[in-house]
Amino acid sequence: MTTLPPKRKICYYYDGDIGNYYYGQGHPMKPHRIRMTHNLILNYGLYRKMEIYRPHKATAEEMTKFHSDDYIKFLRSIRPDNMAEYNKQMQRFNVGEDCPVFDGMYEFCQLSTGGSVAGAVKLNKQAADIAINWAGGLHHAKKSEASGFCYVNDIVLGILELLKYHQRVLYVDIDIHHGDGVEEAFYTTDRVMTVSFHKYGEYFPGTGDLRDIGAGKGKYYAVNFPLRDGIDDESYESIFKPVITRVMEMYQPSAIVLQCGADSLSGDRLGCFNLTLKGHGKCVEFIKKWNLPVLLLGGGGYTIRNVARCWTYETSIALNCDVANELPYNDYFEYYGPDFKLHISPSNMANQNTPEYMDKIKTRLFDNLRMLPHAPGVQMQAIPEDALHDESDEDDKVNPDQRISIRQSDKRIACEEEFSDSEDEDGGGRKDKRDHKKKRQKTEADDKKDGEKDKKEEKEVKKEAPEVKEEAKTSQEKDDKAAAPTEKKENSPSAPKSESAAAPVTDNSSKDKEPEVAAGTTASSEPEKMEH
Amino acid sequence: MSANMYRVGDYVFFETSSTAPYQIRRIEELNKTQNGNVEAKVMCFYRRRDISNSLIILADKHHNALDEEGEEKREIDDELAPKPDGETNGGPLSPAKDPVEENGTENNSPTNGSTNNNNNHQAGVGAGGLGMEEIPEKLRHQLKHRELFLSRQVETLPATHIRGKCCVTLLNETESLLSYLNKDDTFFYSLVYDPQQKTLLADKGEIRVGSKYQAEMIPKLSEGEGDVRKSEDLEELVWDPLHGLSEKEIDQFQIIARSVGTFARALDCTSTVRQPSLHMSAAAASRDITIFHAMNTLHQHKYNIAKAIQSLVPSGGPVLCRDEMEEWSASEANLFEDAIEQYGKDFNGIRQDFLPWKSLKSIVEYYYMWKTTDRYVQQKRIKASEAESKLKQVYIPNYNKPNPAAITNKLNGADGQVSGRACESCYTAHSNQWYSWGPVHMQCRLCSNCWSYWKKYGGLKMPTRLDGERPAPNQRQERIAQMNSIRMQKCTFTGCGKVSQRQEFKLKAHLNRHMATSHGMPIQPGSPRPVMKTRAAFCLVTTELTRISRRLCRDLLRPRHATRCPFTPINTSLIKQECQLRLSERPSYQQPAKYRTPATLDPVVARLGIDIKQEKPSLLLKGPNYGGGDRSSTPKERPQENVKVGSGHPSIMKKRGYEQTNGVDSGPAAKRPNMGVIRQAGTAIKTPGVTRRGSVLNHNSVNGRSRFCGKSMRMQLVGWMDNPDDVYFVATAATRKIRKQLQMNDFKRLARNPWKTLNVKPPLPSGSLSGSNGHRPTVPQEVVVLD
Repeated sequence: MTTLPPKRKICYYYDGDIGNYYYGQGHPMKPHRIRMTHNLILNYGLYRKMEIYRPHKATAEEMTKFHSDDYIKFLRSIRPDNMAEYNKQMQRFNVGEDCPVFDGMYEFCQLSTGGSVAGAVKLNKQAADIAINWAGGLHHAKKSEASGFCYVNDIVLGILELLKYHQRVLYVDIDIHHGDGVEEAFYTTDRVMTVSFHKYGEYFPGTGDLRDIGAGKGKYYAVNFPLRDGIDDESYESIFKPVITRVMEMYQPSAIVLQCGADSLSGDRLGCFNLTLKGHGKCVEFIKKWNLPVLLLGGGGYTIRNVARCWTYETSIALNCDVANELPYNDYFEYYGPDFKLHISPSNMANQNTPEYMDKIKTRLFDNLRMLPHAPGVQMQAIPEDALHDESDEDDKVNPDQRISIRQSDKRIACEEEFSDSEDEDGGGRKDKRDHKKKRQKTEADDKKDGEKDKKEEKEVKKEAPEVKEEAKTSQEKDDKAAAPTEKKENSPSAPKSESAAAPVTDNSSKDKEPEVAAGTTASSEPEKMEH
Repeated sequence: MSANMYRVGDYVFFETSSTAPYQIRRIEELNKTQNGNVEAKVMCFYRRRDISNSLIILADKHHNALDEEGEEKREIDDELAPKPDGETNGGPLSPAKDPVEENGTENNSPTNGSTNNNNNHQAGVGAGGLGMEEIPEKLRHQLKHRELFLSRQVETLPATHIRGKCCVTLLNETESLLSYLNKDDTFFYSLVYDPQQKTLLADKGEIRVGSKYQAEMIPKLSEGEGDVRKSEDLEELVWDPLHGLSEKEIDQFQIIARSVGTFARALDCTSTVRQPSLHMSAAAASRDITIFHAMNTLHQHKYNIAKAIQSLVPSGGPVLCRDEMEEWSASEANLFEDAIEQYGKDFNGIRQDFLPWKSLKSIVEYYYMWKTTDRYVQQKRIKASEAESKLKQVYIPNYNKPNPAAITNKLNGADGQVSGRACESCYTAHSNQWYSWGPVHMQCRLCSNCWSYWKKYGGLKMPTRLDGERPAPNQRQERIAQMNSIRMQKCTFTGCGKVSQRQEFKLKAHLNRHMATSHGMPIQPGSPRPVMKTRAAFCLVTTELTRISRRLCRDLLRPRHATRCPFTPINTSLIKQECQLRLSERPSYQQPAKYRTPATLDPVVARLGIDIKQEKPSLLLKGPNYGGGDRSSTPKERPQENVKVGSGHPSIMKKRGYEQTNGVDSGPAAKRPNMGVIRQAGTAIKTPGVTRRGSVLNHNSVNGRSRFCGKSMRMQLVGWMDNPDDVYFVATAATRKIRKQLQMNDFKRLARNPWKTLNVKPPLPSGSLSGSNGHRPTVPQEVVVLD
């Protein structure tokens, strides 16, 4: 969709020492993979095409821009030989098992962070279009806690750096694990949107539910796409592109951070996806296409030969430079046997992500994204007339005096975006719009913490409900027998339906699981909302 | 093929019981055992029927709590709402009502259940198959079969019990539950069950909110404000792509650098040792470190090739770049290989104990390079062969054996008449194959479709009056009681219990405990028979009356039958009674004259030239002790001892001639009187110690335990700790010699008639019996009386 400038300036951060840090016997995290990547990059001739930087070692001061002082102090002082003195703190900071204390641990964090921060600064200075730091991307680290092989969250620090120059930064995470550290760090802000595609369910770190959407100001600024085992290139592309497209349209970031965890590749020691380099690389390609400054980071990846392959390939994508499938000779050539090829083939594992499943998640995410206040530059459009619909069937069953759970009430709130029914809004059924209208009110209320509006909202709901109830009562008896069957008719064909723009009513019912809405309720509420 | 190929990570059905539903497991590991079988380490999933009612209610509450899911189910509810009889639970319909919970309550109320049943009956007749059109109860009912609970419990099962694949997914709220019903063998879970603690929990992490967790936002810098940091502090440029050099020039420079490196190696003495050939030097000079150095050199000299080349050959001589691989000497390499074999990849340990002069970094770097060598490949191969027992996949063919629950007694044509019942689940009357299902007395059966449904989903397609999904607790107890009434566990000891009647135990476990505590006799699982051996042995001393009764009431006693079935109880009181009666009829009852004189040892002994008189006293000396009062009444005494030799059951009445006569109709007296003698005859050994050993028929005389027997002849229970061990036969060289003399025919005959005397000429006519005699009488003979 964009015509690319022939060359984009790429900065690549690497420290020759990084490969020699060793997490410990049997630990799947191997910094050596970064060196393997580097050697491949050299021998593919990619090295000479980009600016190569040796990053500085990030200082404690830099790290405490995000992390707590005592945590960083702890990381600085703990060593394998003085571990015994830190028993209590090790527990507190979750250092020990997954995140062992190893020789040079702090230095390793410094180098990994240094690269990401320096890369972000580089982007800020517009001295580069893409900054790459394969040693970074340690997305699990929390403010005061190590987690999932990550100690210092270089991503958060990089993003914080970017925020100095960018109002909105988009973070995209294609690691198989949920990017919980980054999501948590920016859970309550709208200046960073985190989008993570990850395996969910009985999987580390356990977060990343579809329903985790952010909180406070950051509500709807966390996007989680939970996936199941065995997703392949094609399926991944079919979700990645539309979701990112929608995110870009709605959020309009001015910089993107992409975490390229390679554990989503087929055959990963810890992963269970079925992506090949091509599918993984397409994400990089797609992100790159938006012509925004991109910070390209590493992350997971535990079958190290594939990690090196993947990141080499993605470096070549960043450079817009084709590389041969035949691997060049390098110090670690033997690792790539028996085929010694760049690309890997997917396994024959079953893809448990059915198209229906993915469509439904996608639709739901789109619904959430519609809750976003429009980013500047997103065009407003008049509401299509037929968008008016009865507000809710739900209401007629609900006791008006009963409290409505936040989640439920959120659902009734619509957002302004629905008024702007852009063409790309493929999933948009009429009902969605209706919902958003209401939701929008709520989000505004939330955001501004405007008590008045909240009250108003409540009143509105109360007002509405009795109305509906009356109607319902009268119609219910008649409709009881008739309505339900028709509903069924509506529903049944909709079940397999994806987000095609047609079939507004059926779409809704299947899509959001929202209780069906009886026809002809409160058209009156519509204009009220439009004022907001 | 691939359908039968099971891999690690697959969800599978396991059959552990032919009648119970399959178990759902996920394969975590496949291991080959030593005997070639494949064992699967599996993660357990539980069905609703497997966990307690209270937890089910909790689970349903959890579903309700999740609004989305509540909605989800409401969708079904609404969809199903039009059915007037859908709301069996009465009360105003609350929209958030969870259908599953609704059903859960129905489980407890039989009346509701029955109305459902009626519904289902109609539906079952009308509905062709699974689908949305079917009535609500049925769908809800069936949905319950699709819900599982993940557990962290891992068990090991033989892979051959796999009965197919299934699919288990974490329920996502966007999914319609009904979508699970549309697909075969699909299940969902949303909670984790802990079978030990009996708890359910949601498998979910948490994003925390608070200043302790979120990053402090950095405001966007205002326009004029710039970053004060210098880029030199943050990074060091190592290569600039805007070098103005062509690709070719760079390649050429790299070659120059490698050539210089090759030459440097030629000059370097240590290198010439390592790389004796030019070819090897060139290869070493082509390693990445040289190229990296070349690139750095170029950059440092601002991409001026001439200057860069100069720096490659400084005044001292050509630059030599060596990485760890090259740097390490052969001995260091050997040391490292030894170390890694011993320590694994504990590089700290390796450094400390083997290569203290190396830095950890250089060891790690060396290790990763060493992995590219043949040596590593060899090591890996060895390891790989060790790890061969771990399989990635296993092929399990389809299981075709008929299920024991299949009703086979009638042919297809007659299937209607088997029980006259329709399928318990779908009410069809026709099926190719029927399976009996549920408690036996109910005589329920399932058609083949419903049977496979039952096996896979652990329930019936329709709720049933039996509620086959899960027997309610009281039902279960009933069943247990039923079983117990049929087969009460009985203690096999006659004298046991306060009452004369044998104690009965409700559970086998109770019986076990009873047996162990009061009889000192643990019971083998699966058999009511105590693990006897010699643990608790006692002698039965028959009174005269007993013996008479055996004769008189032979018809009642049916001794032959009794011996064949030693565990069937004999009605002793009846026999006693009858015996009294008959005795009174024939007051002067005498033992029948028809009395077979057992073979005596005398001729043999005589032939052996053994001085019997010498031997006898020792026997007789012990005798009185042994026989107690009963002895006097024995009609006839036999001097020989009758020792049953061998490891056979110790139901040996020993050294009591009269016992043999009383052995009555058990035909042959089960003795081999002369075997022992022969043996002893054969033991021409002088030294007392050895004779003693040689005389051992029953090693408990060696153990010195013989004192326990013979104290009294009352029916006696010997504590098993003190109890003598089994009798065994020690063959001496002499016995073996004798055996050699025997013809095959003799052997066979002897084997068939073990009590027959054996006429063998002893190889050594010696009178060396004496030494052993002292021991033999003490050999305890244990009698097991288990009527």
